[in-house]
Amino acid sequence: MLLHTYNVRGAAWLILYLFFVLAPLFALLTGLHPPARDFWTEFSAAIGYAGLAIMGLQFGLTARFRYVTEPWGEDVIYHFHRQISLLAVGLVVAHPIILFIERPGLIALLNSIRAPWRARFAAVSVYSLIALVVMALWRVKLKIKYETWHLTHILLAIIAVTAGVLHMVGWGFYLTDDRKRALWIGLTVFWIGLLLYVRIAKPLFLLRRPYRISEVRKERGDTSTLVMQPDGHPGFRFRPGQFAWLTVWGSPFKITAHPFSFSSSAAATDGRVEMTIRNLGDFTSEIHQVPVGKRVYLDGPYGAFTIGHPADMHVLIAGGIGITPMMSMIRTLADRRDTRPVVLLYGSEDWESITFREELEALKARLDLTVIYVLTNPSEGWTGERGFMTAEVFKRHLPQPYAEHEYFICGPNVMMDAIEKALGEMHVPMSKYHSERYSFV
Amino acid sequence: MRRLFADRLVLVTGVIVMLMSIAFALLRMAEG
Repeated sequence: MLLHTYNVRGAAWLILYLFFVLAPLFALLTGLHPPARDFWTEFSAAIGYAGLAIMGLQFGLTARFRYVTEPWGEDVIYHFHRQISLLAVGLVVAHPIILFIERPGLIALLNSIRAPWRARFAAVSVYSLIALVVMALWRVKLKIKYETWHLTHILLAIIAVTAGVLHMVGWGFYLTDDRKRALWIGLTVFWIGLLLYVRIAKPLFLLRRPYRISEVRKERGDTSTLVMQPDGHPGFRFRPGQFAWLTVWGSPFKITAHPFSFSSSAAATDGRVEMTIRNLGDFTSEIHQVPVGKRVYLDGPYGAFTIGHPADMHVLIAGGIGITPMMSMIRTLADRRDTRPVVLLYGSEDWESITFREELEALKARLDLTVIYVLTNPSEGWTGERGFMTAEVFKRHLPQPYAEHEYFICGPNVMMDAIEKALGEMHVPMSKYHSERYSFV
Repeated sequence: MRRLFADRLVLVTGVIVMLMSIAFALLRMAEG
């Protein structure tokens, strides 16, 4: 029922998305409008308008509206955001190319010194968009710091959309009509308003709901757990497997927050939440130094990666620090006295670096829990599973029929791709497995 | 797999946008 509801909502959101892309375009055909030009010029104008609408809606996709992201999962929304930007660039770049082929005299407009402002705005919009996509696709190769990229990304997006609309208004033609001009300017204000909502309105809300670090716990595997208590408010309830955006250093107005899964039980009623963070050499290397009593900010909960589906047993497949949402699920199921079997397949480098190892062993007394460790670099004498998780490993430890269980997968992208393939080989339908890629930003 | 699903959504969106852009241009042509 829940899945069905999400599908209906997902389809409804897709239709609404297409409406917001296409309705402003076809609104240009209402009322009085200038005489038609040739097919290619009109087609070129249409893809230009549609491309700009897609760019504008990108602000909505990343505005963290829970109702929008829940049917898909945050990682899918961000993947769609990335991929659809390629379509937007394609449309926006194709727009002038078609015009230059159809009407070669317009090529002179590429000379930005002599060109009128309406053409300069077009050039600024296209160049900004190309720069934005190049930086997003090759940020790591270009060695751009995440925080620098994030700020540049936002600024380039605002410039690309604003310059695009100024180009349209400056060119006139369809937008000589006051109502149509008002529609497109209003849409631009709305799109940028979405950005202001997530960057100003939301941080103001979070500022009044801070959290305090009540404990920093050292865990196995160069990992630390931050225990956070709401400060002056009741906090929020989350579902196991969900995550929040954490700001440790600075205010919620800071451009870059980081998404982390909750690792604590969702059954806690005092608003206390925990996040378990591994030192990956970036800003996470400072987590163990966070002082107790420090004020931090949490924007959440988010994510569709959560238990609650009808299942005969839960199969949790974790790789490395992908254990954190699984730990929240296991702790919650134990607190709820769930009697269904839980199988945890847990990939780690070696025995010593298995985060939560002792607690997992202890939880077996409260839950029908089986833990299978799969070590990539075990010491001599290790008799358990070794290497990577494959269909053979699953078949050795899971009872049939495989398609009846509910699967949850979290870990590095390469591991998740391999596991999704393995489950496919075992004829587990897509509806029975859930995954969250924590490297979606 | 879910990302593949998202890729399909992008493809569907792209095809619909292209078809609608062609329809836009044809509608304009039909006006003369």
